[in-house]
Amino acid sequence: MTETAIQHEVVERDLGKCPVMHQDFAPEQAAGWHWDLGDQLRETSPVYFNTFAQGYWVFTRHDAVRDIYKTPDLFSSESITPWQPNPIYRFVPTQIDAPDHIKYRRIVNPWFSPRAMEAAEPAMRALCRQLVEDVAPTGECDFVGELGLRFPTEAFLSVAGVDTADADMFVHWVEDFFSGFGGDPAGLEKMTKALDGIREYWVAVLAERRNDPEPREGDLASHLLHSTFDDRPLTDAELLDMLTVLVLAGLDTTRATLGYIFWHLATHPEHRRRLVAEPELIPLAVEEALRYYPIVFGDGRKVTHDTEFHGVQLKRGDMVYALVAGANRDPREYEQADEFVVDRKRNNHMGFANGPHRCLGMHLARRELAIAVQEWLRVVPDFRIATDEELSERGGGSMMTLTRLPLVWEVTE
Amino acid sequence: MRLTVDGKSCMGHGRCYLMAPDLLADDDEGYVTIRDQTIDVPADQVEAAEDAVGTCPEQAITLIAE
Repeated sequence: MTETAIQHEVVERDLGKCPVMHQDFAPEQAAGWHWDLGDQLRETSPVYFNTFAQGYWVFTRHDAVRDIYKTPDLFSSESITPWQPNPIYRFVPTQIDAPDHIKYRRIVNPWFSPRAMEAAEPAMRALCRQLVEDVAPTGECDFVGELGLRFPTEAFLSVAGVDTADADMFVHWVEDFFSGFGGDPAGLEKMTKALDGIREYWVAVLAERRNDPEPREGDLASHLLHSTFDDRPLTDAELLDMLTVLVLAGLDTTRATLGYIFWHLATHPEHRRRLVAEPELIPLAVEEALRYYPIVFGDGRKVTHDTEFHGVQLKRGDMVYALVAGANRDPREYEQADEFVVDRKRNNHMGFANGPHRCLGMHLARRELAIAVQEWLRVVPDFRIATDEELSERGGGSMMTLTRLPLVWEVTE
Repeated sequence: MRLTVDGKSCMGHGRCYLMAPDLLADDDEGYVTIRDQTIDVPADQVEAAEDAVGTCPEQAITLIAE
């Protein structure tokens, strides 16, 4: 490979009194490291300049992170990775700004609405129940490598209306894509190949449906083929970009969150027992996990015009990083911010982001997370971590996920 | 007590109508149905309404005391 995606040209600028640090968020770390760092950064530096790559601003507190999300005309989504202002991929509608963004979202919002997800729940629950019943008699598994990724993949394919048996291919593509997404140049080739694989899959799916006179019932690709944008059909590039981002945004993220939820339950038996006894609390516990263990370390945006923002002077083209890991545990916003409160009710966390780009799949993800906890605890109420070795997590430059989560439990006849 | 939702701020997180299911409802896209409207909050719904306000990530919901 002759070039990497990261440019190391540092822009000369007057930073005033803003602290300057040099941090690479790509390397793997001990499990939980990123949230500890988020706590530390939030309490020492509400804003600082990270000289990594071309350099970017990091905002660490709840108020600034919320304001970044709520001000999309100042903070463009053209790039969401601050170390890579001009990425090789284009996620639609993730990286599209107003006025086109909402037009794309309105095409897909109904597909992933709470009502649509309620209708999809029985099929998802059946898939999960089968996976739990398959693994329960073995007494052990690597949760994040097996059920944790397998279930969201099958659930997504079910919701998209394609064959859930294709999950095997998607599991590999997802692993390979995220090995390069966090800025590690060694992962770029795998990332590119995985993207090609996913796109070719959808090219074939679209080709098979292209000449249908009517959209197929419950079939997302077919629905998109019959959708319009400003009264014209979606282009092939748009169709592929949309379908690809759904795969990349929907599978790894849910696996990652499931991993941290099950890590928490394995190491906090009092919470596990409470959820077994009061399963109606599971949706609240899921929300608390999204607050306490946000797998998006931070969210990048590109500044559209010169302005002062939370005490620093931003220039057009600057990249900013909204540190969700800092914001979600900010004691200025949350009571008992540093505790996992299993039945927390007033929980306005930013685990799914805020503003117009809030996670499209949030209602799918919530339902998958709750189903997985419910179905697992029903069959395996007691389990623990199978190793004394320290667990590790993928660098926050991509989204964090435990690299493995070996669980063991007693097998009952 | 009355409750109002800022339509521009609501992004369809779907938290409010889960917290206050007897007061608020969702539309086909997942937005709360009463965007840019003001409704009365019955006395037995005040706590649920406060939960809805506290759980909205967009701070789109406001309670108005009478």
